[in-house]
Amino acid sequence: MSYAAPKRAALAPERIDLSVRVGSLTLRNPILTASGTFGYGDEYAHVIDLATIGGVVTKTVTVKPRAGNAPQRVAETASGMLNSIGLENVGLERFRDEKLPRLKQLEATVIASIGGETPEELETLLRALGREPGVGAFEVNFSCPNVAAGGARYWADADRLERTLARLKPLTDKPLIAKLSPDVTDIRDTARACERGGADALTAVNTFVAMSIDLDGMTSRLGRATGGLSGPAIKPMALARCWEAAGAVKIPVLGSGGIASGRDALEFIAAGATAVQVGTATFVEPEASTRVLAEMRAWLAANGIARVTDLIGAFRAEPAQEATTAAARNGGQP
Amino acid sequence: MTTRERVPGRATARARIATAAPAARRTWRQVRARVVSQRESGASFRWLELELPAGFVAPVAGQFVQLLLEFPSPVLLPRPMSVASARRVRGKLRVGFLYAAVGAGTRALSELPPGASVSVTGPLGRGYPLSEPGTPVLIAGGRGVAPLLMAADELARSRRRCEFVFGARTGALLIGVSEARTRLSRGGSRLHLATDDGSRGFEGDVVGLLTKLAPKLERPLVIHACGPHGMLAAVARWAMANGARAHLAMESVMACGTGVCRGCPLPRSGEARQRVLAEGAAAAALKGNPEWAMCCTDGPVFESRELDWERVE
Repeated sequence: MSYAAPKRAALAPERIDLSVRVGSLTLRNPILTASGTFGYGDEYAHVIDLATIGGVVTKTVTVKPRAGNAPQRVAETASGMLNSIGLENVGLERFRDEKLPRLKQLEATVIASIGGETPEELETLLRALGREPGVGAFEVNFSCPNVAAGGARYWADADRLERTLARLKPLTDKPLIAKLSPDVTDIRDTARACERGGADALTAVNTFVAMSIDLDGMTSRLGRATGGLSGPAIKPMALARCWEAAGAVKIPVLGSGGIASGRDALEFIAAGATAVQVGTATFVEPEASTRVLAEMRAWLAANGIARVTDLIGAFRAEPAQEATTAAARNGGQP
Repeated sequence: MTTRERVPGRATARARIATAAPAARRTWRQVRARVVSQRESGASFRWLELELPAGFVAPVAGQFVQLLLEFPSPVLLPRPMSVASARRVRGKLRVGFLYAAVGAGTRALSELPPGASVSVTGPLGRGYPLSEPGTPVLIAGGRGVAPLLMAADELARSRRRCEFVFGARTGALLIGVSEARTRLSRGGSRLHLATDDGSRGFEGDVVGLLTKLAPKLERPLVIHACGPHGMLAAVARWAMANGARAHLAMESVMACGTGVCRGCPLPRSGEARQRVLAEGAAAAALKGNPEWAMCCTDGPVFESRELDWERVE
């Protein structure tokens, strides 16, 4: 990879090719909105032209509507936030009949996030939605930390992931993206299991299981004891999981976790991500995804990189490892 | 950036804000606003005036904005803050807020000099239905006075009299009482004070004072209230028992403020749950959760019959 070598001449930003492929789906650029942070797209359509971003990953839909968890559902922590929403959603029927037509009208590339407590529920969802022309790909939420059944822990079983994906694969002609939990012993195991099962891509990662205690009441600051941590606080950890997952599989990986700037997005791409998802940043700044896109384009242009795909996996671990070794030789002083 | 941040830097932002007019077409924007002035308002409260750029829709009483400090902010998320005034000065929209500097975010906000910029997303949520026919009774509890100051302004502009009931634990905590008095000075509106310790006005709570006043007022009464949830529950129960309508501005911890994160649930009443279920697919885009209303988009103003007051925290 020569991009980091002699500095190239800057290019005009509009000349940068930002398109990427995720399985059979071509995205116009690598910036997606993360599931659960962008509703069903319509909510932000008056401030963002959804046709300009790579795609919208919709709020996870389940077979039946879900009311979600009791309050509190969100709490801010240092440079991050905890959530315990509990997959509140309108259910399959209303998603298909109301939300998808609206997204199509808005010309968004739709990645429909689906969730289930069992493999059978996921099959039901794909039987209903698998051939919908308004859906570009499916992201299977194998990693919600906030539900009593069918959450991250249930889906942390590599064999279950592989078997389930093998059952889902024939039900759709669109790419299947498996969204992984970071809270596993080794994400390479779950990543490889998904690839073996037939996943076309992975998303790394969902939120980290985390908690916060209100000492006054000696209670959780959420309705449940734990929630999922997101935001800038998790970016370095998410980046490491993304890099590990990308190194373990041949299928594309979508990076997610604390991305709030073009440089954040590019770090994930350099670590091996093909595309990235912007999540919590949208809560702070509704137009975060379009800003991240503009910043990414500007950086690539300034660095003379004509195609974003040239940067995928550009980071190689060796120099860092050498540096570590050198530091060890120097008595631990870097 | 409201006032119930309990742990500095770990802010539990709570919207002090507000069933009201049907959910309108989304008009909110995120803009950069300029600090016009900040001044002390007693008991560590501050009055903040911001100038908003053209294109920002003027809020109505009971609506809120998401206020975000510029980088480097000590907190990540924006803070929901109820709007206390909105007026035009030389064609420019000026919006006022009453807040207490109690958390890391609000303390940093309090240090912003005139001319500094802050990010504002809004106007958000549904405000008070002030045009509802009847005698308007505005009920404020403590710092919950903010949206009611604005409601008093709007009623005065439409030349309607109101009764303004303002309660706090002590006289010193009747923050904004002078602002309230100024707004009520025209047109025969009246200010009624209540303090738990009797240091000012009626000795007791706002519901006690309301019970005393109500027989003298022309019915029907339409209550618009904001304050601690315990007080709002008491007002809601009083209204339901006495045949009055009551619109109550609720607060919640929030993340997005725009309906996407689903982070600010309030328990719907059995009646409201049945109605949402009956509406089914015809319900508005963000509705349809029969169990929980979202404070940010279904509210923050709710009519007393919309919520299950036994389960409101």
